[in-house]
Amino acid sequence: MRRLALGLLALASLSAQQVTSDRLVNALKEQQNWLTYWGDYSAIRHRDLKQINTSNVRNLRLDWMYQTGETGAFETVPLVVDGVMYFTAAHGIAVALDARSGRQLWQYKHAFPSGRNATAVNRGLAILGDRLFMVTADSNVVALEAKTGRKIWQAEMAPWVPGTHYASLAPLVIKDKVIVGISGGEQAVRGFIDAYDAKTGERAWRFYTIPLKGEPGGDTWLGDSAQHGGGPAWMTGTYDPQLNSLYWGVGNPGPDLFGDVRKGDNLYSCSLVVLDPDTGKLKWHFQFTPHDTHDWDAAETPMLLDIDWKGKPRKVVVQANRNAFFYVLDRETGEFLMGKPFARQTWAKELDNKGRPILMANTEPNTDGNRVCPGLAGATNWMAPSYNPQTKLFYLAVREQCDIFYAAPPVLIEGKSYWGSVFRGVTDEKESGSLTALDPATGETKWAFKYFKAPWAGTLSTAGGLIFSGDEDGYLMAFDAATGENLWKINTGTRLVTSPMTYMVGGRQYVTMPSGGSILTFALPQ
Amino acid sequence: MKLLPVAVALLFPFFISAQNGSEQDVEQGRALFRSNCAFCHGLTAGGGRGPSLISAKLVRGSTNDDIKNIIRSGVPGTSMPSFENIEKDDLDKLVRYIRHLGGSNVISVPVNGDADAGKRVYGRSGCAGCHRIGDEGSNFGPDLSRVGSGRSSDYIHQSIVEPSADIPAEYEGVTLFTKDGKKITGVRVNEDTFTVQLRLGNDRFALFNKSELKEVIYPKQSLMPAYKTLPAKDLQNLLAYLDSLRGQQTSGADAIKTKGIK
Repeated sequence: MRRLALGLLALASLSAQQVTSDRLVNALKEQQNWLTYWGDYSAIRHRDLKQINTSNVRNLRLDWMYQTGETGAFETVPLVVDGVMYFTAAHGIAVALDARSGRQLWQYKHAFPSGRNATAVNRGLAILGDRLFMVTADSNVVALEAKTGRKIWQAEMAPWVPGTHYASLAPLVIKDKVIVGISGGEQAVRGFIDAYDAKTGERAWRFYTIPLKGEPGGDTWLGDSAQHGGGPAWMTGTYDPQLNSLYWGVGNPGPDLFGDVRKGDNLYSCSLVVLDPDTGKLKWHFQFTPHDTHDWDAAETPMLLDIDWKGKPRKVVVQANRNAFFYVLDRETGEFLMGKPFARQTWAKELDNKGRPILMANTEPNTDGNRVCPGLAGATNWMAPSYNPQTKLFYLAVREQCDIFYAAPPVLIEGKSYWGSVFRGVTDEKESGSLTALDPATGETKWAFKYFKAPWAGTLSTAGGLIFSGDEDGYLMAFDAATGENLWKINTGTRLVTSPMTYMVGGRQYVTMPSGGSILTFALPQ
Repeated sequence: MKLLPVAVALLFPFFISAQNGSEQDVEQGRALFRSNCAFCHGLTAGGGRGPSLISAKLVRGSTNDDIKNIIRSGVPGTSMPSFENIEKDDLDKLVRYIRHLGGSNVISVPVNGDADAGKRVYGRSGCAGCHRIGDEGSNFGPDLSRVGSGRSSDYIHQSIVEPSADIPAEYEGVTLFTKDGKKITGVRVNEDTFTVQLRLGNDRFALFNKSELKEVIYPKQSLMPAYKTLPAKDLQNLLAYLDSLRGQQTSGADAIKTKGIK
């Protein structure tokens, strides 16, 4: 009994440890934990855990399940901090669980002012000290006590006007700031990235992703179209502590499909922007898709890798972009190093030596519809890729699907969507997809496991030689990272629309995947 | 995009906004129609997978509000989806365009031919071997209980003589070759990365893990034979019979009746 009490005391003191900024910088030294949305600042989504490995993964089974009672797309990625799991769900819910049993410690339900039909998905939390941070569908940032789930402060990113701004991402904490971005690329907003003081909730800086007339880049917009130019910042960025650089993917310009009202390159839409996280000042940018008219935003993970580049170690940022090209940029200077297609694409002849696409004819949306691959959802999207330092491969979910893009001049009405017409999937060929392993140094595909449908789930890499991912029919699967052989699967019963994660508590490795309204956690039998 | 655009688009197609003004409205209604409705109802609304909107008979109310309700809510039990996110202005323009097509009193134009004789053609051609009308026939092919209200006669004609021209996704064929050498063809009921489920001609399911299969093939041809040699008169009578099928044969068909274009 005494021993048990001591053990509980040890666990209790462990979970009381503060998550310092230093711990976040060194998140990969805590392989048992998952301290940020991406798992660490670089977003490699690899864990040096091998209790579950290629030889025993066939025995993996459901260990516990927690049902939120929510329906709709469950897009969260949980944090795990010293044995406690934290995650969010739609409708402003945050939950803390015992990560070994799934038993609830607390649940926070955000009180939306009456009449706000704020139903957007939510992708998760950030942690600093003993505080958690989340955004709400009505564009607020909320700080919660990690121990109780009690609200500490709330800060408004944008006033609530139905059908305009909203928020859905997991915040990123850097030093003493909580960094978030706004959503609403189809709603005629002007996008921005904000930093809030973690202590007080006061806004420290704002970076508008769309420059206005007179500002650098403002001349890439026709007339005053930049005022409603879109460029949301709806996914979490990455961070290099050595360079003190924040990397953030910017969304599509608006109106999405009708480009004539916004002639020009439309900076910084569909770009990677690199900011000083202390001030929000732009260091450099790279635009993947100038003057996009296919909704191919650049919200996909900007992963930070140190790789051998032509025989020398080089700090790079890589992104598998929605436009079907895999990009490698110098992380310090922004120099374009490589861009290669990783899926079928019918819009660019090639990229020039600066990485700018040279367009093919007849790829613009028009009144009769133009068929383009990839489709509007892109050759990949916000679902996370991963990188395995042992195989030196980059693993991503690839979507093979084409759309017919229509265009018509839209009328700007606040609160109404601002698409500029519609898109429709082609019917003469089936969509498909794959889990694909790429060599990031060459852009070559090493292997691909074909899925029946185009997927919406990301990937996780482990030192057990495994890649975990999910497909559109609800299968959570494990693959041999070296060969792509499917080693294990379970049908979770509904489409998977987020990325798996792993952690360790009490000497046992777990793999977690949200599915439907449930958190499913798997482990080997004891 | 922000959530899952393909799925969102399928369920809630997006609409362009437009300006006021009557003639302009019709034009804008036409643009809305082309990008949202033409896929099923044809570029000029003459029908296709969906009924003609020029000659359709509106059996459960013909007011503008009735038509708007159909567009907003869809028609359960048919392939007409709900366009519930359509803006009010756009809905008005669409209805104005649809009215403009057929005038304010849309009249059903019956297909020439002898429906009773057509019923006999249906019987002796073996159609019931694959199709179902009311409670009779097979579930292998599409249920024809209300085919006259859901499909234009041109489309039905094409489906008889050239069935491969347009195969609805829910009746796509699939051919499997098992590892033990069997070949199995049926209607693909469901499929995923690891499994496939078929409906066979004998109305049974065939359920497989793909690990048991050597190959899965998707024939471009319809599972329905092309009735190209049917005498012209028989074909016309058959068309008249099929056109007369409006879902009133049985209580089962009544149950799926909803107000709207029939």
